[in-house]
Amino acid sequence: MVCNILADFRLYLHLIAMQLRAQLQYKLNVLIDIVTYLSVTCLEFVPVLIFFGPFPSLLGWTVGEVAMLYAITSMSFGLAELFGAGIDAFDETIRRGEFDRVLLRPVGPFMQVVSSEFRLRRLGRITQGLLVFIFALSLLPGLNWTALKLAVLPIAIVSGALVFIAILLLGATLCFWTIQTTELTNILTYGGREMLSYPLTIYNQGLQRFFLFVVPLAFGTYIPICYLLGRPLPFGLPVEIAFAAPLVALAFALIAGATWRFGVRHYQSTGS
Amino acid sequence: MEAMIEAEGLSKTFRVARRRPGLLGGLRSVVDPQVRIVHAVRDLSLHIERGEMIGLVGPNGAGKSTTIKMLTGILVPTGGRVRVAGLDPMRQRRELASRIGVVFGQRSQLWWDLPLIDSLRLLRHLYRVPEKRHSDNLARLRNMLDLDEFLDTPVRQLSLGQRMRGDLAAALLHDPELLYLDEPTIGLDVVAKARIREFLLAINAGQGVTVLLTTHDMDDVETLCPRMLIIDHGRKLYDGGVTEIRERFGGERMLIAVLDPVEIAAIPHDAQDQPVLSDLPEGVHQVQAEAPRIWLAFSRDSLPVHELVAWLGARYRLRDVTFQEPEIEDVIRRIYEEGLLLGRDEVSVQVS
Amino acid sequence: MWRVAGFLCWENGKNEMLRFYFEVARTAYRRQLIYRWANLAGLLTNIFFGVIFSYVMIALFQARPVAAGYNVQDALRYIWLMQAMVMVVLTFGWYDLMLTIRSGEVVSDLSKPCDFYWYWFSREIGRSAYFLLFRGLPTYLAGMLLFGLGVPGDLRLWLAYAASLPLAAMLGIAYRFLFNIVAFWVLEARALGGLATAIALFFAGSYIPLPFFPPWLRAIATWLPFNGLMNVPAQIFLGKLTGIALLFGLGLQVLWVVLLTLGVRLLTSVAARRVIVQGG
Repeated sequence: MVCNILADFRLYLHLIAMQLRAQLQYKLNVLIDIVTYLSVTCLEFVPVLIFFGPFPSLLGWTVGEVAMLYAITSMSFGLAELFGAGIDAFDETIRRGEFDRVLLRPVGPFMQVVSSEFRLRRLGRITQGLLVFIFALSLLPGLNWTALKLAVLPIAIVSGALVFIAILLLGATLCFWTIQTTELTNILTYGGREMLSYPLTIYNQGLQRFFLFVVPLAFGTYIPICYLLGRPLPFGLPVEIAFAAPLVALAFALIAGATWRFGVRHYQSTGS
Repeated sequence: MEAMIEAEGLSKTFRVARRRPGLLGGLRSVVDPQVRIVHAVRDLSLHIERGEMIGLVGPNGAGKSTTIKMLTGILVPTGGRVRVAGLDPMRQRRELASRIGVVFGQRSQLWWDLPLIDSLRLLRHLYRVPEKRHSDNLARLRNMLDLDEFLDTPVRQLSLGQRMRGDLAAALLHDPELLYLDEPTIGLDVVAKARIREFLLAINAGQGVTVLLTTHDMDDVETLCPRMLIIDHGRKLYDGGVTEIRERFGGERMLIAVLDPVEIAAIPHDAQDQPVLSDLPEGVHQVQAEAPRIWLAFSRDSLPVHELVAWLGARYRLRDVTFQEPEIEDVIRRIYEEGLLLGRDEVSVQVS
Repeated sequence: MWRVAGFLCWENGKNEMLRFYFEVARTAYRRQLIYRWANLAGLLTNIFFGVIFSYVMIALFQARPVAAGYNVQDALRYIWLMQAMVMVVLTFGWYDLMLTIRSGEVVSDLSKPCDFYWYWFSREIGRSAYFLLFRGLPTYLAGMLLFGLGVPGDLRLWLAYAASLPLAAMLGIAYRFLFNIVAFWVLEARALGGLATAIALFFAGSYIPLPFFPPWLRAIATWLPFNGLMNVPAQIFLGKLTGIALLFGLGLQVLWVVLLTLGVRLLTSVAARRVIVQGG
């Protein structure tokens, strides 16, 4: 089994490398793609700045703090967009009837789906996240950094990305039944990203609980930032729980994986 | 030596929900689904040895694709059991996948935007073929299929014939023991068809690859397959030699002669007031007539086509002459009409 | 349908042409009806974003009850109006024309007997009508249910809004057409289209209400065409634009509709000439 996973991973690298090579043949186009996407995402951040013109604070959060939260969420999402592009495009695979071919290959279907697309343009959003992060740092000179606080950042970003990718996978699984509702996953991904870019406490209890305990996006974004900024968590949760983020994300991802396998079996018993 | 494909009582049933129109209809379909049961494959048994080349023939919707999908692990059978190369396609899908090759006539497995050679190289990693073996196979296939002229062209720019050759190479790079071909010659011109057939004969004879070929084209079957399976409505109708079928049902072609109206008037008419040609040469008989058209069936062995045309032309003023190949549907219809069929195995399928 | 077009065009009365365009719009409307589930999913997306921004507004207004003459109720209404109008005016990610340019279909479209732009215009009007009924209305209704938005009571406001919204839709159509037609000359039109949409949304007030812009940016934004896309109708609806300011807003919309339509027609004729010369 481990042998399979290792071999699959090497295959993933090969497939990605091949796509990169094909895309990099048109260097100018790739650059334009990345720059326009960077511009679009930066434009999406500007409102956050503008809000703090007429309004002094967002439920007690200052502009620098919100920017920090925004940056982490953005980077998580950007990573997920980059690596989960193939999963996102799964509805096209089903629409074109290409899933049969996937089942004919001696490779796991998930690996094939996830390596089917790799679009460099998504680097635009990750860059935006980095820029906003640097900007946030400049606005928070009083922040005292400890080793743990430094460590929580990459943990947060990776966990957040994992949850986003799991959401994409759930959306892809839905395609086995119908391709007309692919926009529903957008609510959780784009919607989730937008929602988690602001402090979780501005929302009602139901939404807070949802993004903490059902789709644990908050574990990869809001909670680690609270840890970083020394802010208390809702529902009396201890702030150290930020370090449990990878486990929570992994649990959610495993559930998504199980649903995916169920979807594949459904496809195998009903055709298409 | 175990058989290549061993299937017993395979069946596949689909439950198709009827979709009602309108938004309310959509909701009602969820709450109270009207389900139609489709028996795509019924009680199908197959025994195929290594190295055979078999044609799988049947009209559209007969269950050929469904059968292939069950043999390859894409679809799970509703009943029966199947073993391919000693493996269970469902439980051992990945292992089986590395030992079979599949070519779909209408859908390519090649990467659309990449040059053909890139696709072929990528497949090495996908199938984990050792470098040396892969390059040897690639060289051999390049030679056999004449790929060099378009090896660097992006797949989307290839002609149908070129793409098919590319797909064949792709399917064989990993030395599969068994090759499935789904309508491989559809849409190809005569030259391209001949080329593909030549290639298939070579790999079957030379490398002992077992080949299972689904097709509508009786010529494919006749040139390539010593044995054929006819499937209709999910059932196996016939499993046996091609020559027997050909002699009994498929040997006839149709010539449609359009005669000059003046001629039509001069010919004796039958009870339905249609012209009837008399004194036709041996092996030729009139099947149908709708003035000014007359359908004549003739078997290939009885007389060459040009002789028949010459014979007709000498006696009647011809306006036009066209030909019709026997459709597989006609063959099947005649099988039903004739009743009993005996297969190569002891299995005799009695059709009412 | 093109056969109908040809027939109608040979008759060549103004009446026939109008009837034809009306048919185009009606067909486009009917075609959208088929995508019920996709529309439902999109509606939920609109509502979700409405909810997010509503909570952001509520939280912001806790620190300061009035800003730029808006209280929290105004701001909430504005947010939901944005979500309601965005599909009517901009129909996110519209690349239909660009696709026909890529596929070459546009060449035969350009040589059809009817006006190229008015054909696309009619199609999009039909779709806008659909989105008004099946997205705009339900979105705002959802906002009313969830956040108690309410509607203006003054009939004059409704009339003014009824004048402003179609202008906004026309403006949106012309704008979308513009960033699609550049695909004739630019290979990366799709990426630029994404940027063009984002810029339009930003300056239309969809990301953040225009009244909250810093004054210098506000001044610039007022004169941009995007102002008329959604901000002007929204402000009219909220009763923030009255009297002279109302006429000014409507006037700006009309001005930009005219300017952009002229631009579109210019580019279309250039493109058509290029097609004739080069053969696509």
